Amino acid sequence: MITLFMVFILSLILVILLTPIFIKIGRRLNLTGADIHKPSKPSIPKTGGPTLVIGVISSLTVYLFVQGFSTEMVALIYSSLIAALIGLIEDIRGEINPKVKPALLIIAGIPILALSAYTPRPVLPFIGATRLTKIYPFLVLVSYPVVCNAVNSIDVLNGSISFTSITFFTAVLVVSVIHGFEYPSIVSVVMLAALVGFAIYNKYPSRVFAGNSGSLFIGAVMVSTAIIGRIEVVAIIALLPHIMNEMHVIFSMRGLKSAKQYNSRPIIIENGLITANPDEKAPITLVRMLSAKIKAREDSLVKSISLLSLYSMILAILTNILFMR
Amino acid sequence: MSLLRNTLMVLILLTIAWVGFIFITFVLAYTLFPALEYTDGSLTLGLLRVAVGIAVIMLWIYGWYTLTKMWLRKMLS
Repeated sequence: MITLFMVFILSLILVILLTPIFIKIGRRLNLTGADIHKPSKPSIPKTGGPTLVIGVISSLTVYLFVQGFSTEMVALIYSSLIAALIGLIEDIRGEINPKVKPALLIIAGIPILALSAYTPRPVLPFIGATRLTKIYPFLVLVSYPVVCNAVNSIDVLNGSISFTSITFFTAVLVVSVIHGFEYPSIVSVVMLAALVGFAIYNKYPSRVFAGNSGSLFIGAVMVSTAIIGRIEVVAIIALLPHIMNEMHVIFSMRGLKSAKQYNSRPIIIENGLITANPDEKAPITLVRMLSAKIKAREDSLVKSISLLSLYSMILAILTNILFMR
Repeated sequence: MSLLRNTLMVLILLTIAWVGFIFITFVLAYTLFPALEYTDGSLTLGLLRVAVGIAVIMLWIYGWYTLTKMWLRKMLS
């Protein structure tokens, strides 16, 4: 319990102290992105990812030092670092081809397979553990690009990535505490501390963005935690808004495409207010659905997305209590 | 008020998707997965069952997407 409290505080303090430093580094290195929903379109550093990585990985390493070596935790650390590195390359060099990026993110699943940090018997509603020996390693690899891109694509409004991820890890923490799962509890406590610290700077109006390094890192930690903790179904339900956003974009765009390849934008911005694009060919996104026929402020939309995530968190916990054996 | 209405509509869509997910896992739990448990290890049979599982999940997502598209089209018309 003391270790748990210690890693929570360490993660929180590291992120709170390091973020202002990385904001300065981002400005100095010109690693910035335009905040397109504001009338003045200010340049915001997109260097929040490295602070999350340092905060989380340092805390998990301290946990390993105190509690002893764990293959599962080491696999999680390597997987998330690989995803963060791919994101960092994208932040520095510019957008990676949307068809190449999923292939690269598959690499993030390799440490989990190589270190055998998975059990090919996922626990499903109604029947409990089921055997998926042959297909499970393939699903592990595929899940990284799917979830990392889903988290990446929900990071479109100030603070949306922080608040939606906080609800995800809260669901994981509650379920882990109910079942007494050690590693998912530790990871979710560390992630919650880091995300709360990060949200101070990332909330509306953002002083820093997570960047691709941050969003892919968070996505990889989500997948690794779900696999190691055998809470795949809880993770899927807690990620319903993310899945909704990503799958609807892929279906409406008929495949994996870059935002620059859209002929029609999903939303229209007028004087800082967001409204859905009425064009039928525009991609279907969560923000477009929420702003249908109205003009909404960005912070109000973030509150709505957070509410949807909170609802999914409750559904995930309910699914676990009512239907899982 | 209107944002609240849109948020409520998306909440309903999420609920439908969740109920759909529970229903699909219920059906798979009593059809596909018990069969998988008692398979004799044949790779073709195993892959066929997995393909059915993936197809059902894809159908779930596509149904969810179609419902959303219909709702959004009605809202924006």
